Amino acid sequence: MKHVLIIDDATTVRMYHRQILSEAGFAVDESINGVEALEKALTKRYDLFVVDVNMPKMDGYRFLRELRSNADVHQAPAVMVSTEAEAKDRDAAWAAGANYYMTKPTKPGALTRVAHLLTGEAQ
Amino acid sequence: MPIMKPKTREPSEAADAPNGQLSFAELVEGLTSGDHAVRLGAVRSLGIQGGTPAIDVLCQHLVIDSDRSTRDVIAVELARLGGEAVVEGLMPLLRSDDAALRNIAIDILKELPTDVAPRMEALLDDPDPDVRIFLVNVLEALRHPSVEDWLVAVITMDTNVNVVGTALDLLNEVGSTSSVPALRAAIARFPDEPFVTFSAGNALRRIGSAA
Amino acid sequence: MSAVKAITPDDFARFSEYFYRKTGIHFDDSKRYFVDRRLTDRISATDSQDFNTYFRLLRLNPSGSETQVLTNLMTVNETYFFREAYQFECLTDFILAEVVRYKRAGDPIRIWSMPCSSGEEPYSIAIHLMEKWAHIDRYDVEIFGSDIDTTILASAQTGIYSPRSVQGVPPNQMKKYFTKLRDGNWQICQDLRDSVEFVRTNLNEPADLARFSRVDVIFCRNLLIYFDDMSRRAAAEAFYETMSPGAFICLGHSESMSRISSLFKVRRFGSTIVYQKPLPGEASA
Repeated sequence: MKHVLIIDDATTVRMYHRQILSEAGFAVDESINGVEALEKALTKRYDLFVVDVNMPKMDGYRFLRELRSNADVHQAPAVMVSTEAEAKDRDAAWAAGANYYMTKPTKPGALTRVAHLLTGEAQ
Repeated sequence: MPIMKPKTREPSEAADAPNGQLSFAELVEGLTSGDHAVRLGAVRSLGIQGGTPAIDVLCQHLVIDSDRSTRDVIAVELARLGGEAVVEGLMPLLRSDDAALRNIAIDILKELPTDVAPRMEALLDDPDPDVRIFLVNVLEALRHPSVEDWLVAVITMDTNVNVVGTALDLLNEVGSTSSVPALRAAIARFPDEPFVTFSAGNALRRIGSAA
Repeated sequence: MSAVKAITPDDFARFSEYFYRKTGIHFDDSKRYFVDRRLTDRISATDSQDFNTYFRLLRLNPSGSETQVLTNLMTVNETYFFREAYQFECLTDFILAEVVRYKRAGDPIRIWSMPCSSGEEPYSIAIHLMEKWAHIDRYDVEIFGSDIDTTILASAQTGIYSPRSVQGVPPNQMKKYFTKLRDGNWQICQDLRDSVEFVRTNLNEPADLARFSRVDVIFCRNLLIYFDDMSRRAAAEAFYETMSPGAFICLGHSESMSRISSLFKVRRFGSTIVYQKPLPGEASA
């Protein structure tokens, strides 16, 4: 079973993404910001990160930069999920180390497809 | 013995003396010092001085100085000062391209319920949905008696699904039976958004379990 | 007093989510009984109708005083020798090796316990270093104990402990470092009492903090949970300034820096998470 870490400060967004990804067969953990996500990623191996942009203490971009530059963390693909849909937001996500960019709110089918695609899980 | 009695510096040798007598202009100059300790000292002294000019300088410096520890000290000083000038100075930062800066502005605004509250209704009409999302995030911490009414207004009126989603997240925690009609209406208003159905449904279930 | 309706699993989930966000303390289902009882007590003490009414009070009460009351009730802050000793193991197994790498020869290693309460923590650190750190003879180590409460600092200096407080100390170390008093209590030896510097410190007082510099390891366990968001941020920043670049900070077992600050690098040694002030040039992402 593939493990996903959902990083979002909004409780209902985490619950929503958890429901979608659990139904799609993933084991799901949650973090409320980038610092907590790094703590988790240092202690457990994840196959995918689903990352919000705006979070207190450590935003999604910085989380990705720190994740990508940390040799002690298992490097897995990351989907950035954002309310912002402009080109510059996408560019910032790529630059920070995201592998995919989706706008909020996500649709269950789309998130599931992307999660399978990035983790190499055949559907 | 390898563990030896240490000595801390005497307070008089160490502490706050240096910036005591500096003028406003000198403190503003101190903000640009290459020495981190001097910058922090200037921030703290400006915080002690207070007043609109100092607040304006600190808000601007938050934008210029990307050093995290300096930003944290500015945040602490601005939150401690509070008042209209701080809210005024921080609002433009919510539109910044710098995510860290936006989030630190929100963190400070969250500390200032009494200063933000009177402006909340007007602010929630901001044309930029991202700013409205940030404001709903600020509501999270306001501990103000009108929070639920504002959230109900957002989910009833706002046309942006993400603004509504952010408000629904908070209503999940603080919603009471008086939110029920608005929650139902939100689901009807966004029939193609499974997230709205999910989170409004969740809030309804929670409130229902109370009734 | 009328009976309060039982806390449902959904109530519990909603409460623990909020409490975690506020304090960084995580309760899983195994703590249901403990948490439920305290919640039920507060629901009746505040004359709240039910959990939902109480939760709204908790969330929307302008002073945040109810959150404070609850935090005090939910945290049992008992102190004793070698409490959370896995962190001391981490200190001698990993942290100090990194500290001595950046230290200049001849500079002392500074360890700071804040809050140190009646002294169990700084003395535990001293004993642990003497017993377990192979290189103790090659370095000078300075240990500071700070607390805001001067009465408790005086008792730390006297170093007299109940049998219960020292029950985690192995017998050979009891013999080596403690003397039994006539009333059945134990006093820590003069050498150790002389080796720890106890100093009253208020984290909100810049002058108090300015006494500390080039600190290499801070133990700040179960303190910041009692602070509000801005005070925590201020405290983390204050610690940051007193620390050497590359220095470490250890929080309590159930605490996480994620509620507090992103100034520090998250490091993992074994199964222990600690936080490090970035070294120059490492001022990450």
